[in-house]
Amino acid sequence: MNLSKRVALLVTCTVDQMMPEVGVSTVKVLRRAGYEVDFPMEQTCCGQPFFNSGFRDEARHMAKRTIAAFAKYDAVVLPSGSCTTMIRQEYIHLFEDDPEWQEHARRLAAKTFELSEFLIHQAQWEPTQSAQARTVTYHDSCHMNRMLGVKQEPRQCLEATGCTIDEMEDSERCCGFGGLFCIRMPEVSNAMTNAKLDQAQETQAPTLVTSDPGCLMQMRGLVDGKPFKVEHLATVLEEMTR
Amino acid sequence: MSARDQILSQLKRNEQPAEHPGPWRSRRNFADLAERFTDTLNAGKGEVFRAASYEEALDQIDTILHELQAKRVVVNDTAPLEGMDVKERWPDFEWFTAGKSEGDIKSFCADADVGLSGADAALAETGSVIISSGPGKSRLATLLPPVHLAIVPTSILTSDILTWTAARQGKPGANMVLVSGPSKTADIEQVLAIGVHGPKRFIVVLYDD
Amino acid sequence: MTATMHEFRHSAFVAIEDIQLQSAIEGATHKFGSGRTAALAEVPDVEPMRDHFKKIRSATLSQLATHLETFEKNATAAGTQVHWAATGDDACRIVLDIAQRHGVKLVTKSKSMATEEIHLNQVLSQAGIEPVETDLGEWIIQLAGDPPSHIIAPAIHKTRHQIAEMFTKETGQQVSADDIPGLTELARQTLRQKFLASGMGISGGNIMVAETGSLVLVMNEGNGRLVTSTPPVHVAVVGLEKLAPTWDDAAVWLSLLARSSTGQALTIYTNIITGPARADDADGPQEVHIVILDNGRSKLIGTKYEEVLQCIRCGACLNACPVYREAGGHAYGNPYSGPIGAVIAPLLFGLDKYSGLPHASSLCGACKDVCPARIDLPRMLLELRADEVEQRVLPWWESMTERAAAFGIANPSLFKYGTALVRQLQKPIAKQGSLNLPSKLNPGQARKSPALAKRSFHDIWQSGELDNANGGEQ
Repeated sequence: MNLSKRVALLVTCTVDQMMPEVGVSTVKVLRRAGYEVDFPMEQTCCGQPFFNSGFRDEARHMAKRTIAAFAKYDAVVLPSGSCTTMIRQEYIHLFEDDPEWQEHARRLAAKTFELSEFLIHQAQWEPTQSAQARTVTYHDSCHMNRMLGVKQEPRQCLEATGCTIDEMEDSERCCGFGGLFCIRMPEVSNAMTNAKLDQAQETQAPTLVTSDPGCLMQMRGLVDGKPFKVEHLATVLEEMTR
Repeated sequence: MSARDQILSQLKRNEQPAEHPGPWRSRRNFADLAERFTDTLNAGKGEVFRAASYEEALDQIDTILHELQAKRVVVNDTAPLEGMDVKERWPDFEWFTAGKSEGDIKSFCADADVGLSGADAALAETGSVIISSGPGKSRLATLLPPVHLAIVPTSILTSDILTWTAARQGKPGANMVLVSGPSKTADIEQVLAIGVHGPKRFIVVLYDD
Repeated sequence: MTATMHEFRHSAFVAIEDIQLQSAIEGATHKFGSGRTAALAEVPDVEPMRDHFKKIRSATLSQLATHLETFEKNATAAGTQVHWAATGDDACRIVLDIAQRHGVKLVTKSKSMATEEIHLNQVLSQAGIEPVETDLGEWIIQLAGDPPSHIIAPAIHKTRHQIAEMFTKETGQQVSADDIPGLTELARQTLRQKFLASGMGISGGNIMVAETGSLVLVMNEGNGRLVTSTPPVHVAVVGLEKLAPTWDDAAVWLSLLARSSTGQALTIYTNIITGPARADDADGPQEVHIVILDNGRSKLIGTKYEEVLQCIRCGACLNACPVYREAGGHAYGNPYSGPIGAVIAPLLFGLDKYSGLPHASSLCGACKDVCPARIDLPRMLLELRADEVEQRVLPWWESMTERAAAFGIANPSLFKYGTALVRQLQKPIAKQGSLNLPSKLNPGQARKSPALAKRSFHDIWQSGELDNANGGEQ
């Protein structure tokens, strides 16, 4: 793909409202990779929470807004595997009965990338290795791993910056977030998170990295008292490439 | 409308043209079927004895029956033992021959120490012995006694279930069973226990023919 | 039984608090899951084989009526009496009629999810016929009066101590809980008498093979052979989707079933039944009946849920499911638990009664990964959620809240001012990124509730401080 060196950031509503520092890190990493970053102010939410709850009309409405907000860009990058999946795969399903919008959805899908896959496949990113040694363990977020099939890219990014990855057992096991699931079924959700955090702790890595703000929020909610921190991929990449 | 017609018409309303996929051919290619059979069944808690000839296999059966301290043995009157006078060959045991002996086979089997059978086919991949029902072929003989002893020639070995079904011919009998080991359960705390309902030991004498 | 959101949560909570149960579920699901991985890895070209199996299942369902007619014709020719049951009640009545016609007082049963589904044991008991479950796990839960908690390991929620106690009570014999072979032997002896005395055997069925009119039953214990060989009458209750047109199809099915289920290449016994004993057979039942069960299945054909009928009840999705692994099987409120249960219970037994199940999933997709037929269960859970909205199964206040939120969030200005308002309102309780809520009011309970950040990314971007090419850093 012939990209002009400009990308649009779809920051995601969670990062926007809860953890804007992840958005800031994403911008810095993209700029260090040689990209001009634009941020369309009309963006809000990709609609996934509503889609996942069965509110299809509402999700379609948000999808249209998102498609319109990013129509003029050649590439769109998200610091979230899950929202990338929503745009790349579910938008197309959502407009099954609307060929015109489905075409718009396809066009957006074709130019939308999760941060790590963008860095590896589009940017052919080659950061200078950091002098600092850092060991991390990595949690594969479910949609990114199973639906997008992006599993190696975040690891490649981490290693490119000089991180060592100490793999935890069952890195693919769900962290318990699941969108509204974590509110509807908090007991089960928390038990899942605790199981995940226990497995991460066994590695003794001081940082647990994930590429999804949802997983990050969920795991941070229960990580107090554990001897490690939970960080977004963008945060770690930014810190390692300063 | 009968339930049958109701169900079928509901299904037919939504039938779609569909091309049914052809058979999936086995990708297995075992160098030595007998070796694979032996290894697999032994790993699955079965017991395989190899014999170089039919005669040697018969001798082995004699040894095994003695070692088991068997008294009552029920035998299926089928290949390769078909027509054989078992009482003469193995005189130390009380015999019941399916389809021939007088009396109730069910009650004999319920008290028998060993059930002796032949086999129709055997699968190398899974260490399975295939036994069908028929005249002189009792199902209970291979099911009720605590030991099932099968005499199997290597010539009936085939690679796996895919090659077996591909070679299948004619109409099946009332019953056919693939036996791949002794009866097993793990229903109590996932602990493996052998011999819950079927035979506690499954012994195969595999001979070259 | 039902499983609303509240009921699922409550039952799951009980399971989560039960440390012994948690370790039993984790142990069993882990064992099955890793067994599955190892068993499949041993098969050459297993992934294309799964694709092929999916095609078989899909093509079969597209022409199911034709295949069922072929099955009926060939089974009948072999002497099997084929019955059709539109509902669970009809199936129970058919089985009861057969039992009563033969004056049966005692029935032995091998494990069957279909008969669990239609509550056959209750119907038989009420008519004065004693049904005895003979699969060890099923017998344990029958003695306990519990529903199954796993499709293939129904008694994983019972400890050896509970089991020993029940066995002693049932048989009058003392047995040590630590002597699992002894417990197993006691079950063998007790149930052996039942097999020999029973007038009828009842089984389920794993596969109906149309080509020869055969019924395939897989098992490890051998009880499914005893049930179908010892009593004079055998009745099988089988869901109408469990059909393989040919033996070639059945061979692929069998190649995947046990591997996906228990991690075995084949189960110990694969029992193939084609009619009653022939005139010159040494033994075997005089009558074989197959009850083809619909009970809500046929109406799924041709809908967006048709794919769920490709299920072969291997249980792999349960073992892979992180929700099942915490909540256990009973929370699902019906015999089918885990992801497959979360989809088929609402479809077969009513979305209103099982309204919690479509939400008992984080949509992680692990179930689809391990399904031998690659059934897209997460997709169907999403469809069920959409149906709940459309059919107004979701409480009105929840719909209102979601719609209002959607309206606000979709509009950039409302989004901006709305979130700014929340920022002001949360000030008294926002501390270090999380909301300081009493745990009762915290929807995540023990989990910290995240607060909105002091400034949104929109605010930061608009402030211009990121305008520098390096993102504000020097």
